[in-house]
Amino acid sequence: MPVDHKRINAPESAVPYKLFTKLNTESLKEQYQKAIRDGIRVDGRKPSEHRKIFLKTGIVAHAKGSAYIEQGNTKVVTSVFDPREIPNRTDYCLKGEIYCEFKFAPFSCPKRRLHQQDSQEKECSAIMKKALEAVVCREEFPNFQVDVYALVLHNDGSALSAAVTAAGVALASAGIPMFDIITSSTLAIQGEHSLFDPNFREELLSEIAIEKEHGVVILCVTSTHQQISHFHQTGNLQLNTITQSIDTLHNTCKEIVPVVQKCLVKSVLSVISES
Amino acid sequence: MSRKKELISNIGLRLDGRRAGELRRIRCKLGVFSEPDGSAYIEQGLTKVLAAVYGPHQVRGGRSKAQHDSAIVNCQFSMAVFSTGERKRRPRGDRKSTEMSIHLHQALVAAIKVELYPWTQIDVYVEVLHADGGIYPACVNAATLALIDAGIPLKEYVCACTASLANDDIPMIDISHQEEVMGGPTLTVAALPMSKKVVLLEMSQRFHVDHLPKVLKTALQGCVDIKNILDVTVSNNVKEIGSSTRWGNMT
Amino acid sequence: MLILSSEKTDNPARIERTYYLISENIRIDGREREDYRPMEIETDVVSHAFGSSRLRLANTDVLVAVKIEVDAPYPERPLEGKLEFFVDCSANATPEFEGRGGEELAVELSNCLSSAYRSEEVFNLKKLCIMKGRKCWKLYVDILLLEVGGNLFDAVSIAVKAALWNTQIPKIKSINVDGSNIDIQVCDDIFSCTKLDVTGAPLMVTVCKIGDKCIVDPNAAEEQCSVGAVVVAVSRGNICTISQTGTGSFHPDTFKSCLILGISVAQRLEDSLTETLGEIKANQDVGFLK
Repeated sequence: MPVDHKRINAPESAVPYKLFTKLNTESLKEQYQKAIRDGIRVDGRKPSEHRKIFLKTGIVAHAKGSAYIEQGNTKVVTSVFDPREIPNRTDYCLKGEIYCEFKFAPFSCPKRRLHQQDSQEKECSAIMKKALEAVVCREEFPNFQVDVYALVLHNDGSALSAAVTAAGVALASAGIPMFDIITSSTLAIQGEHSLFDPNFREELLSEIAIEKEHGVVILCVTSTHQQISHFHQTGNLQLNTITQSIDTLHNTCKEIVPVVQKCLVKSVLSVISES
Repeated sequence: MSRKKELISNIGLRLDGRRAGELRRIRCKLGVFSEPDGSAYIEQGLTKVLAAVYGPHQVRGGRSKAQHDSAIVNCQFSMAVFSTGERKRRPRGDRKSTEMSIHLHQALVAAIKVELYPWTQIDVYVEVLHADGGIYPACVNAATLALIDAGIPLKEYVCACTASLANDDIPMIDISHQEEVMGGPTLTVAALPMSKKVVLLEMSQRFHVDHLPKVLKTALQGCVDIKNILDVTVSNNVKEIGSSTRWGNMT
Repeated sequence: MLILSSEKTDNPARIERTYYLISENIRIDGREREDYRPMEIETDVVSHAFGSSRLRLANTDVLVAVKIEVDAPYPERPLEGKLEFFVDCSANATPEFEGRGGEELAVELSNCLSSAYRSEEVFNLKKLCIMKGRKCWKLYVDILLLEVGGNLFDAVSIAVKAALWNTQIPKIKSINVDGSNIDIQVCDDIFSCTKLDVTGAPLMVTVCKIGDKCIVDPNAAEEQCSVGAVVVAVSRGNICTISQTGTGSFHPDTFKSCLILGISVAQRLEDSLTETLGEIKANQDVGFLK
């Protein structure tokens, strides 16, 4: 792993103190039972209930387009910059590229994140890139790349989904030609429980095998064309569970679309009124 | 303090049972892969190397690099992370592999008729799968075979071999990893064995200058021996390919 | 009959038009949509490693070696060993991989592998624990791509499974704990080793969409023609990872049919791999000289 020489890091042998607290001594099963009790989650939601979304454009003044999303406690800032020539590339390419950088702020998670991208962040960047490339008219800017940065200020689960939705808004507000609106949603599965838009704890617990079936599913959908622009799943799930989750997640993604549309209309109106 | 274990025993045998002037078993094959223009695989003892040649083709990257009177020979040396006893962290990019790439380039440029292909580039990639001493010689020999497989005109074979000095007196040929770590001096020679030209000479550690002629002579003899082995493989390969069109029967 | 044309979009100088008769269920090399190309697998290829395999799937050539080291477990998972995947794209495969050119592909492959092996149901890391919270085995699975002829994900996953199947973990004779010093004695007998349980190790199937039909095991030209592919990692009939490659998008119904196809093909692949591995004898002649 690359080491950051410019900053002073905590000693390598340091261990988060939370490992020694009372919470950690409970078995995973108990922890999960606490997370969902009588069909109600810790934050009072029903399993199929999505958290409230707040979306705003024009948050970063220097960026061409930017968006800020709040999904419960999860907060993500995305910014999009002007197309620029692809660096270190000598041959011509017909389609433009999207460069994505997904980053958790050092203070966004219970454990401190380093300033450099780790492998999880790199994986998220790759997923974001694939999801967004399907909705952007890339032949409009050959040989150029558009930079998209997503910074997670607070990670309370479903950060990647929030980032993809916000990045779609930021791209639109930057005036990058797009085919469609993109929305994304996450589902955490453990046994027979399917939790929509999981928070940090639920997401973490679903990645561990407590029951035979468990996993996290992320779906990115384009709204008008009804196409899956990216699908990612981890864990261990049966085919039926996955096909069901595709349908239900698809519906959830549809529900987010009006929020995105409203936000974009608002930003267009404000630009018009300014001019 | 007791003396280090002798490299050659009283009865003239080395640690792996060879005599001083004996090479390890060399086995090689041309045309291992279909994607590259030429490829080869060589085993020298336990050292295993794959080489691939692409080109001559248009110069990649900046056109400014192209030369009007010769082809560019681009070499990359890379070692699989599992090739050594202890796992390597990176397959290439460290100082040792960069040095190896440069040395490889030096040896190959001397043999390739670069003046025949102006404005072009020839890529030579070598991949070490198993390192057991004498990596550089194995790479040069594999690259030669790959160049021949690619049909690139060479002045002649370019072969490399290592030699060492045991017990301050006896020159030894083709040093294995075990002998390298036991610590004898190692002289690496890359040569054009037919015209008896040395194209690269490198040495680690020390011995008295008086010993140099005989160690060098041993190493050069090794290059000639290796050339003969490679020659057999190449002619067999040509016959095999040719047998489909019957020109392999001609002598 | 549907005839599809495709262009190598990234380089107009090398525009190639290739035609496929996918909808007739005949591919350019005579296969049907669900057919694989011939495969050759060898184990015990790298003598430095604890387990290794080499897979040749038509023109795709993959070499996998497993190395084992003793390490300390992660503090948040004291009972588990470690498993790490490293992919190296050799420039032998294509000059584009020279220097750091293959890194993007390498990261994509190793991410997909590590997320497929993450679940405990798939691969039990607890078996790699030596002493709770103090010592565990760390498996380095190093993958070397020697030639790329399409369908890398499938080839790599099969080779990794074979290499893990081949892996021998040394037996521990005794552990001496003296304060913070832990002294591990490994069994002297080199033949007394334990084998890993790889029955759940996932196999990945790339389902490639060309036109409105899906095919498995695309060759390099078919990969160029398709806009996107779904990689389905299947373990014991369950799906443990789904990922998409390429930039295309899918209709939900197409996507579901891809998954169904992926699972059924993976099951067939699994059966034939188990059979083939069972037939492998010790001291068989292996390597590149054959």
